[in-house]
Amino acid sequence: MSSGTAAGRSRFPGFDALGQAGQWDRVTADVVRARVGPHPVTKFFTEAEEPCARALLDLLTGQREPDGDLAVPVLEMVDARLESGQTDGWRYADMPEDGQAWRDTLAYLDADADRRCGTSFADTPEADQIALVQAVQDLKSGDWHGLPAAQVWSLWTRYACTAFYAHPFAWTEIGFPGPAYPRGYKNTGVGKLEPFEVRDARPAEDPVREGM
Amino acid sequence: MPGQNPVRARNESAWLLPNDGTRTNHRLRRDMRWFADEDEIDLVIVGCGAGGSVLLQRLARHGWKVAALDAGPFWDPDTDWVSDEAGSHHLYWTDPRVITGSDPVPMGSNNSGRGVGGSMVHYAGYTPRFHPSDFMTRSLDGVGADWPISYPELRPYYQAIEEELPVAGERWPWGDPHSYPHRPHPVGGNGEIFLRGADKLGITAKVGPVAITNGRFGNRPHCIYRGFCLQGCKVNAKASPLITHIPDALAHGAEVRANAMVTRIAVDERTGRATGVHYISRGQERFQRARMVAVAGYSIETPRLLLNSASARFPDGLCNDFDQVGRYLMVQGAPQTAGRFNAEVRMYKAPPPEVSTEQFYETDPDRDAKRGFSIQTVSPLPITWAEHIAAQGHWGRALREYMSDYVHWSCLGALCEFLPLPENRVTLADEKDRYGLPVAQFSYSQCDNDRALARAAQSVMEDILSAAGADEVITIQRYAHLVGGARMAADEWHGVVDQHGRSFAVPNLYLADGSVLPTQGSANPALTIMAVAARTADQMAAGASLGG
Repeated sequence: MSSGTAAGRSRFPGFDALGQAGQWDRVTADVVRARVGPHPVTKFFTEAEEPCARALLDLLTGQREPDGDLAVPVLEMVDARLESGQTDGWRYADMPEDGQAWRDTLAYLDADADRRCGTSFADTPEADQIALVQAVQDLKSGDWHGLPAAQVWSLWTRYACTAFYAHPFAWTEIGFPGPAYPRGYKNTGVGKLEPFEVRDARPAEDPVREGM
Repeated sequence: MPGQNPVRARNESAWLLPNDGTRTNHRLRRDMRWFADEDEIDLVIVGCGAGGSVLLQRLARHGWKVAALDAGPFWDPDTDWVSDEAGSHHLYWTDPRVITGSDPVPMGSNNSGRGVGGSMVHYAGYTPRFHPSDFMTRSLDGVGADWPISYPELRPYYQAIEEELPVAGERWPWGDPHSYPHRPHPVGGNGEIFLRGADKLGITAKVGPVAITNGRFGNRPHCIYRGFCLQGCKVNAKASPLITHIPDALAHGAEVRANAMVTRIAVDERTGRATGVHYISRGQERFQRARMVAVAGYSIETPRLLLNSASARFPDGLCNDFDQVGRYLMVQGAPQTAGRFNAEVRMYKAPPPEVSTEQFYETDPDRDAKRGFSIQTVSPLPITWAEHIAAQGHWGRALREYMSDYVHWSCLGALCEFLPLPENRVTLADEKDRYGLPVAQFSYSQCDNDRALARAAQSVMEDILSAAGADEVITIQRYAHLVGGARMAADEWHGVVDQHGRSFAVPNLYLADGSVLPTQGSANPALTIMAVAARTADQMAAGASLGG
């Protein structure tokens, strides 16, 4: 199974995390392989909520780029998590519990889209979607539809990132080999690689230094 | 050969594990002693983590009839744990909790374990001692509290537990200088960066101390440096009570009753003594009778259980006559600073705990704050690293670009001694959990001293990484660990338990977990929690022999 890369330009040519699955212990391999699909139908999000949730989650994880789609099923992974009530084990006192918070904030996002473009969030042009989402982040600890925006942002990004970077396609993109039992590592230290690791083809490409 | 290792003579756990490549002694669990609810056992323990497990093992060795009830499962590392971040979610206590205050503290994966072994199943493995000064911060620095015990009283227990885990590391020059039973581990890329930067700045940094076997210990194998310490060690190399104390406890007639959620401590209104615990197992409400009760549910669940055990005699919660239950709950400020290198660090290789410095641990007159901080390597795996990047404000395509740079980053974390404050506390929320019990609400707010320490720590970490050659550094603010919430004190107006862990209000009720700690230092608390529990066990055993 091949996996795509951000903008279609792999930093780790030929590296494929999932291709190492034969080296993983069986219990771990089963858990990871289940993420690759096929996926059950959406259960937590309603038919009305699903398009908005999918658009938001794909946007947050950069999966809407025309030149390189990884197709990590973030919506399906978040849906399964919410359906089974798998929270992080806490909620802010000024937020509803996670499931309700997701439903509420999707509705608010649709309302914002309607006000801005007269459409649902999912049907809004991408540039406007980005602006709507950016507006929530920019509020910081300010109020968004009666909720603290920073806490909404925390909820969205926590669920999105946890799902996305649980997927072996994402590991391939960042050069991370994934599960390491029972094999372990033998060559640790700066600049040292295992035979199954691939060196970064563009090591000087530092996104932080280049800024946005 | 039996008896050759002196540790084995007092704790045989590591020799009771299988040596055939599997990780669990199923026969020991199958043959485990079972007590009936109607038996008045000598001691029932609530919670089977760092404190509860040590207490269980010690008193089983004294011949006590003792059982530990744990709300979570009795883990088998082979089948229950995975070498994967997201797949390890079930290791955390994720029953609902509410967080509030001006600086709310996230729970779950950050600090709350579930099941036999407790939070030590997913802790990093750092096991430093507290410094002697930690036991008298009020006298020395005018902040925090003095413990009713001093460091020398705990020293023999530190030594004993370090041998039982066992701990690997260089000779430790800070606090009360001491050495460790196992040699230091080789370091990976992240540790190398830390040592390089510290050396350039003249900061002393040392390898360890980590509770990870370096060489065989009993039937526990050598670490394989796979980097998944925080997901539960499938190797049996990283110490947790599941493998360091529970096997020996079972072999000496103790019972571990997993999946048993204790809901209430029963106290006889006439005698004022605890009579046992109410608990729920497989959907059934049950009651275990016991001559003594010890609570070891950690800093959130222990106060919550006491508050949920209110009665006519204790209308505001058990042991809460003086409004001390739930108060002085502490977390360490734990900013993480990462540095970017053109070379590949690949910090996910080798255990996250590798190198640390305690050079900034004590009060420094040149700093505008009391007490101090330690710095350690932390090596976030991709999901946790994404949280670090997202905290810089990146999302979407930018997030993906930054994340693709993962192999080039080194990450350090500080543990800042945030002070114990009375308003930082657990109370009961209106919300109920699936057992119908009010959930814990944890309110947390920082003080000026806390913020000053976090700033100072961040600045030192930035200096170390820059000295090592980083071209950019980024920082995320976070918290680590929990202690306090039902602290030990000289009297009942200032704490919940005495220096032995015995509650002031109920003579046969003990607390034996992190909640009893009056201060936290800048040290990871696991070793101290175990040492304090071992001391409590000795006191309980001595009391019993005196007919107490």
